[in-house]
Amino acid sequence: MIQYLLLLLPIISALVIVLSSQRAAKWIALIGSTASLIVAAVFAVQFPHWTTGGFWPDLNTSPILGNFGVDLKIGVDSVSLMLVLLTVFLTPLAIAGSFSAITTRMREYYAWFMILEASMLLAFMSRDIIFFYVGYEFTLIPMFFLISIWGGPMRGPAAIKFFIFTFLGSVFTLTSVIFVAVRHFDSTGTWTFAIADLVKFSSTQLSAREQFWVFVGLMSGFAIKTPFFPTHAWLPLAHDQAPTGGSVVLAGILLKLGTYGVFRFALPMAPIGAVECSTFFAILGIIAILYMSLVCWVQTDIKKLIAYSSVSHMGFVVLGLFALNPIGLQGAVMYMVNHGLSTGALFLCIGMMYERYHTKDMEQLGGLVSKMPVWSFFMIIFTLSSVGLPGLNGFVGEFLCLMGAFVAEHDQPAGYPGVLGPWYAVVAAIGLILGAMYLLIMLGKIVWGSLREPHGQEHAQDHAQDHGQSHAQHAEIQLPTDLNFREIAILAPIALACLAIGLYPKPLLNAVEPCVKDALVNYPAVIDQYNAKRGLVNPGTPVKQAEAKP
Amino acid sequence: MTHLLAASQFGASHAVTITLAMSALLFTIGLVGFLVRRNMILMFLCTEIMFQAAALAFIAFGRMRMDTGGQIFVIFILTIAAAEAALALGLVILLFRRKETLSSEAWSELHE
Amino acid sequence: MIPMLSITDTHADSPAHAVVTAIVNAIPSPELGWTGWILLLPAISVVLTGLCCALRVKSKLPGWITVLALAGSFALVLKLYFLRGDAGAPVVVHLWDWMNFSWGDQNKWHALQADVSLYVDSLTLFWLLFVTGLGTLIAIYATEYMEADVGKGYARFFNGVSIFILAMCTLVMADNLILLYLGWEGVGLASYLLVGYYYKKPSAVAAGKKAFIVNRVGDLGLAVGIWLIWVNYGTIEFNTLFQVWQDMERGVGGFDKSLIPYCLMLGAFGKSAQLPLYVWLPDAMEGPTPVSALIHAATMVTAGVYLIARTYPLFTLHPDALATVAWVGGLTALFSATIGMAQYDFKRVFAYSTISQLGYMFMGLGVGTTFGAAYHTLTHAFFKALLFLTAGAIMHGFAGQLDLRKLSGLRKVPGFKIVSWTMLIGCLWLSAFPYSAGMLSKDVILVQALGGKDHGFVWLGWIGLITAGMTAYYAFRVWFRVCAGPVFYMPGEETHDDHDTHDAHHDDHGAQIAHSAPAANSSHEFHPHAPRWAMNGVLIVIMLGAFATGIPGYMEMRGQSNWAQVMMAHSSAFAGSVQAHVTDAVNFGMNPHQLVELFGTIASLGGIAIAMYFHLLQRKSADKLRAWLLAHNSIRWIPVAMENKWYVDEFYHACIRGPAWIAGQILHFTDKHVVDGLMVNGIGRIPAALGRLFQPLYNGVLQGYATTMAGGAALVVAWVVYRWLTSGVGA
Repeated sequence: MIQYLLLLLPIISALVIVLSSQRAAKWIALIGSTASLIVAAVFAVQFPHWTTGGFWPDLNTSPILGNFGVDLKIGVDSVSLMLVLLTVFLTPLAIAGSFSAITTRMREYYAWFMILEASMLLAFMSRDIIFFYVGYEFTLIPMFFLISIWGGPMRGPAAIKFFIFTFLGSVFTLTSVIFVAVRHFDSTGTWTFAIADLVKFSSTQLSAREQFWVFVGLMSGFAIKTPFFPTHAWLPLAHDQAPTGGSVVLAGILLKLGTYGVFRFALPMAPIGAVECSTFFAILGIIAILYMSLVCWVQTDIKKLIAYSSVSHMGFVVLGLFALNPIGLQGAVMYMVNHGLSTGALFLCIGMMYERYHTKDMEQLGGLVSKMPVWSFFMIIFTLSSVGLPGLNGFVGEFLCLMGAFVAEHDQPAGYPGVLGPWYAVVAAIGLILGAMYLLIMLGKIVWGSLREPHGQEHAQDHAQDHGQSHAQHAEIQLPTDLNFREIAILAPIALACLAIGLYPKPLLNAVEPCVKDALVNYPAVIDQYNAKRGLVNPGTPVKQAEAKP
Repeated sequence: MTHLLAASQFGASHAVTITLAMSALLFTIGLVGFLVRRNMILMFLCTEIMFQAAALAFIAFGRMRMDTGGQIFVIFILTIAAAEAALALGLVILLFRRKETLSSEAWSELHE
Repeated sequence: MIPMLSITDTHADSPAHAVVTAIVNAIPSPELGWTGWILLLPAISVVLTGLCCALRVKSKLPGWITVLALAGSFALVLKLYFLRGDAGAPVVVHLWDWMNFSWGDQNKWHALQADVSLYVDSLTLFWLLFVTGLGTLIAIYATEYMEADVGKGYARFFNGVSIFILAMCTLVMADNLILLYLGWEGVGLASYLLVGYYYKKPSAVAAGKKAFIVNRVGDLGLAVGIWLIWVNYGTIEFNTLFQVWQDMERGVGGFDKSLIPYCLMLGAFGKSAQLPLYVWLPDAMEGPTPVSALIHAATMVTAGVYLIARTYPLFTLHPDALATVAWVGGLTALFSATIGMAQYDFKRVFAYSTISQLGYMFMGLGVGTTFGAAYHTLTHAFFKALLFLTAGAIMHGFAGQLDLRKLSGLRKVPGFKIVSWTMLIGCLWLSAFPYSAGMLSKDVILVQALGGKDHGFVWLGWIGLITAGMTAYYAFRVWFRVCAGPVFYMPGEETHDDHDTHDAHHDDHGAQIAHSAPAANSSHEFHPHAPRWAMNGVLIVIMLGAFATGIPGYMEMRGQSNWAQVMMAHSSAFAGSVQAHVTDAVNFGMNPHQLVELFGTIASLGGIAIAMYFHLLQRKSADKLRAWLLAHNSIRWIPVAMENKWYVDEFYHACIRGPAWIAGQILHFTDKHVVDGLMVNGIGRIPAALGRLFQPLYNGVLQGYATTMAGGAALVVAWVVYRWLTSGVGA
């Protein structure tokens, strides 16, 4: 029953927060989210399928919508659990990171935050596609309020664009899901929305044409959420305007809902569709990597820069996913976790700096290392992790994603043929250079150099009023020049996690491996067929031949 | 016409036809009343008439299919209509107090 | 016994590959687990110096922590060396699993195995010995050199040095290419942090950034090389790779195997500052001088040489690959020597000489003598570290003065005797003075080149000889200008070195208007700051080391086997380790040995003599020569181009950075106004436009809405009835 406890804890905390006082709200939120973290840790320790694959707990609960086969089934496999752990890990840190930034309507803020956590957990833990969808869509509501109430000067348009844009795509996702469920009902006579059943049915029983449209429908939602290249327009604005905590969760976890959806639903449900679209989406991923890197380069607003870099980084995930082989998928899943850590941490760092200087303009800031050495230290670590420096976490995912795309050829001897190929990886790898370029330029501007600070404190106060925060309330919180203990305690765990994953990613890789194999179970045959249609024949792997002999 | 004949084969065809016709008549009366009157209380009464027309149709179809569901729904409808009547009359009184008139034309702020 | 291999048909008759032995299969040696401490000690030092940094320790503690850790590593390397000897089989020590997973059996192509484990063979040991040894010495030197920064950047500096040694040891000890890549990027990180050590100087920050980014271009090549190797061989572990390479000569992957060497060499060219990626190294001189000595002269920049030596067998996959390496190396040597001749900043002169000497190493690799390349790496590591450290001592003493026109006769300045004479040794070794270690190692390469038959290697040999003459000239141009002649000195304005940072530290608001400007302007008030025991001691030890590096060469002359050659012969660099029989190639009636002996001596002594004339005896004539060159329009481009480094930076800026930046601006505009503005907001406006179309229907009158609704309902009913009736008629 611990899985229900995990889901209920944030909701209960939200209720308690609503009933409590403004001052107590943040502490209740912190306690509630930390309790979730502990429960999730216990859950992870109990989880028996770390290296074997499969879902746990495997319970049958009573259907709550009777005849339609919708079931509140909660269970995780290792990939879900990793994302659950990422969620419960980042949420308390994001909450603690909001302590001094949020000075108005605190009760609502923290209540929405806890509801956001609950809906993310529901999305990651649900084994029923309808409840996944409920969690997936429900994240929009708390996020909408977080942006539109506590956001920057353009918060209104940002929140509306974020909501409508992501909601629009999800409608098609739901359509695809319902289509598959109806087809399942037509052919078997029973209603079900269980992920496993629908995946099995859809991947084996649907025709190529149906699979194609199912895939397109699913992707239209996930692509906007991730976001893929041309549908990213909501993201820079939303990130830029969201409060720090919102940006952290948005970049760290919400974006992963999209790629998680691709990994969990789109790829396994419609292999034929996925193979047919894979070059298209891989090219979109490459465009995202390069295009966004160049856009990042000319940004002057540091938060926008990191937001754009998120799109660029998600391009690597897309490339890894559509490599359709174990290396690429491993890389993609690792990248999801690692991007959550490093980009989330970068947003926290920027938030901390913003609370001190009330500007995110890199032209006005510089040389902060001489004033904020501790902050600079963390900034450098997370930037390097984002750059993909080996030994830190970012490298593992990035390298594997690119390698996966590189080896995804029709005659790949690994038993997993592919439709991409070396050129995709080589072109995408130019992103390694551009990524280093814009991130180090950012470091060079704000961390290194001689000290530059914005002029005058009046300016900062004007800015605070823009945010709907009164002058008096704002002056209430005095921050030291460099980070205080609370802020160090927020960033240090993430830095340690970055280092630990960078140096010993093996447990995570091992945990992902069976899930990857499950997700790819239909692919080799489908890809061989697809390649044969293009006139490319897999000569068969030497290993396979060796197995055939005895 | 074959459809009508087929329907009559369920039995008690004439009674059903007459009741349905009655229901349609009631609905038309209610609709016309709603559209031509400006007095909010009268308009509200007209909506009630349309409501009852629908209830009557429920009874008729229930009778036609020999299904008690129709009558059960009518009881539901009556209950809800009662609750809604109380609410709506309260609203009308509220509106009357604001502008000292019952004309619906006094309230047209929804237009662009 | 594994049979002898012929590598490829084109190379079978090439003298470079006349004798080839197989690569011995490595022995997994868990009992050698203590070798992990070679890495762990610097790692501990990274943590401790980091702590010192956080706790703002105001003593030399972090420096001595680093020295102790590095000395410990060096001791362990020595222990390993004596335990294993020159010719033992390679050993593999597995520390822990890193990027390691499988999706089938543990066979080739069904697993990616990149663990943190060490592959130690003679090549590794060769590199480890001088990396940790010189690392320790230079760290001792830096404890004194950086003393002005105690309590400020001191701990940060030694933290960077520890990171560097950790990464460099990882690089050379890695048992697979991805771990090597970790070390590869790790040294890049250390370089970034240390070049940008004086972070208040925009030029230092820019130089650090440039080094990292230019290196990333090379890293891209290395990464692609790693993927290609995995596709073709199914493994990236060196030991398995070499065994597979020996057993299997057929390709499986779809992408051409012959591209592997070119990708790897791109990585090597980036890290080792060869054409066309050398541009970062001169700028990297913005870092503190011990860093320049350790990272940008002796060790890190030789990582490219190491990479090619390590993966030498793969360079036979394409017949022109090694020739490309050789030519790039040779041309780089010549090209950077021309720039080095015209620089006035003597640290930059040494930087260009480093690029030039690295060019020789690549030439050696390319023409087929990995032994020559490795031997030159060793000798160069010592004499170039020596030169940089003397340069550092002079900067330390003269407030950052680096202009060789503003210093003279230092050997007569009290306290600078040791510096001057050790610098002389360094310059002699650099200019390949007869029977110096520098000459011994350079000659191996030149002899091999002149004995080459194809790919125009003979021309390359002549280029090498000409470059040797230029090298002797610019090395002694520095020495005669700075250390000889009448005593004269002008202190630097303290903006070139660390001293400005001290001032800046006092004044947090960036107003580092030279506090020391009055002292800097008048040289008679200025007292040179002579080096003390740590710096002098290290200079002498490294000078002795530079002498010692000649020993293998002398032993060879006495008919014994050369130590470096033995080491290379028992490693994966074997393919070219055995010096080919080159006596049959004849130029001017001489065999290559005689040729190099004669012309090498002429070049070296000639270069020194010319330098002596222009920069010691008739210093004015050098200026006259320059003025004469500038006065003639047809040739004035020569000094202008050389002094301006052939405008390569400007070329890159205009052709790569500029267009990319413009593309960024255009794309940003597109993103804002086309993707977001036109597409997204445009779609958003469609519902609004539709709404305006139907607006008249909504007049706000209740009955109006009711009529619309009723009308709509009536239409629906009418349509249903119509369908019903028509279908009814049909039935």
